[in-house]
Amino acid sequence: MQEWDDREIIEGSKIQGKEEIAFNQLVLKYQERLYWHIRKMVIDHDDSDDVLQNTMIKIWRSLSSFRSESGLYTWLYRIATNEALSFLKQKKKKAFAPWVDVEGQMSESLEADPWFNGDEIQLKLQQAILKLPEKQRIVFNMKYFDQVKYEEMSKILGTSVGALKASYHHAVKKIEAMLEKD
Amino acid sequence: MKMDRNNPDLQQEELKNNPFGVPEGYFEGFAERLQQRIKEEEASKVPVRKIGTVTRWMAAAAAVLAAALITTSIIRFTTSESAEGLYPDLAILEQMQVLDDDRYLYELLGEEAPELNEDEAFASQAIEYLAINDVEMDLIFE
Repeated sequence: MQEWDDREIIEGSKIQGKEEIAFNQLVLKYQERLYWHIRKMVIDHDDSDDVLQNTMIKIWRSLSSFRSESGLYTWLYRIATNEALSFLKQKKKKAFAPWVDVEGQMSESLEADPWFNGDEIQLKLQQAILKLPEKQRIVFNMKYFDQVKYEEMSKILGTSVGALKASYHHAVKKIEAMLEKD
Repeated sequence: MKMDRNNPDLQQEELKNNPFGVPEGYFEGFAERLQQRIKEEEASKVPVRKIGTVTRWMAAAAAVLAAALITTSIIRFTTSESAEGLYPDLAILEQMQVLDDDRYLYELLGEEAPELNEDEAFASQAIEYLAINDVEMDLIFE
């Protein structure tokens, strides 16, 4: 079956009897991109799988009422980002004690993660990224690994281009300093 | 890939490679697992009945009255000096059966209650009178 474009997916989702096919097309088209976006934020594969499923379920429930004012891709990324952030929030809440360093735990678990294929320096880079504040981490990941344009990122994160540029700049400086220190 | 520790360069293209992996066949099976989860969730969903505006107002009014009743009962219970002090409170709870009378809800909603026929009007007035005068209605209805 030929891959549907975004317009076909959106239109299909509004036609009775075609919603499931349209949604399936969306899943096949975007699952990998959304997964990697989520994975860089929550690190663990099983957690990423949960967050991706929750993201897709939210999309399924609201796809038929999606208005194409913002692009489909932007909308999907926004939902995935929010889901990942609320997952991390929940994880911190479950840790019970405010002094428990959830990012520190994630950083440690990376070393034993069977699904982390990076070498020593890539591990150090990931651990440095995990020390960044949450929002800065998202901006850095989107710019550095996914090469998302600032204008696109601005729509996804609802932040001005200027603020995103500043955020990325600070993130790079911090990471370089952390890598030098190590 | 080795990185110069004295000159860490984030511009190295190799560093931008994705260092994460997934179990074999993960993406191939994802759509099917997702569909399964959606089906399970939809099957276990409890249908939500839509309620009209009047019903909603009545429910809200009933909730306010219930809260007021519970608060009053708690205050009376906690301030009574002996166990005997409990009895009047239980009587009040029973007497609150008068709230089943729709007229109170209509009054709260600021709407006019439908006309009662002669028998209904008499019964309603009698219940109200008994409630005000601390008569336990269970004894009458037995």
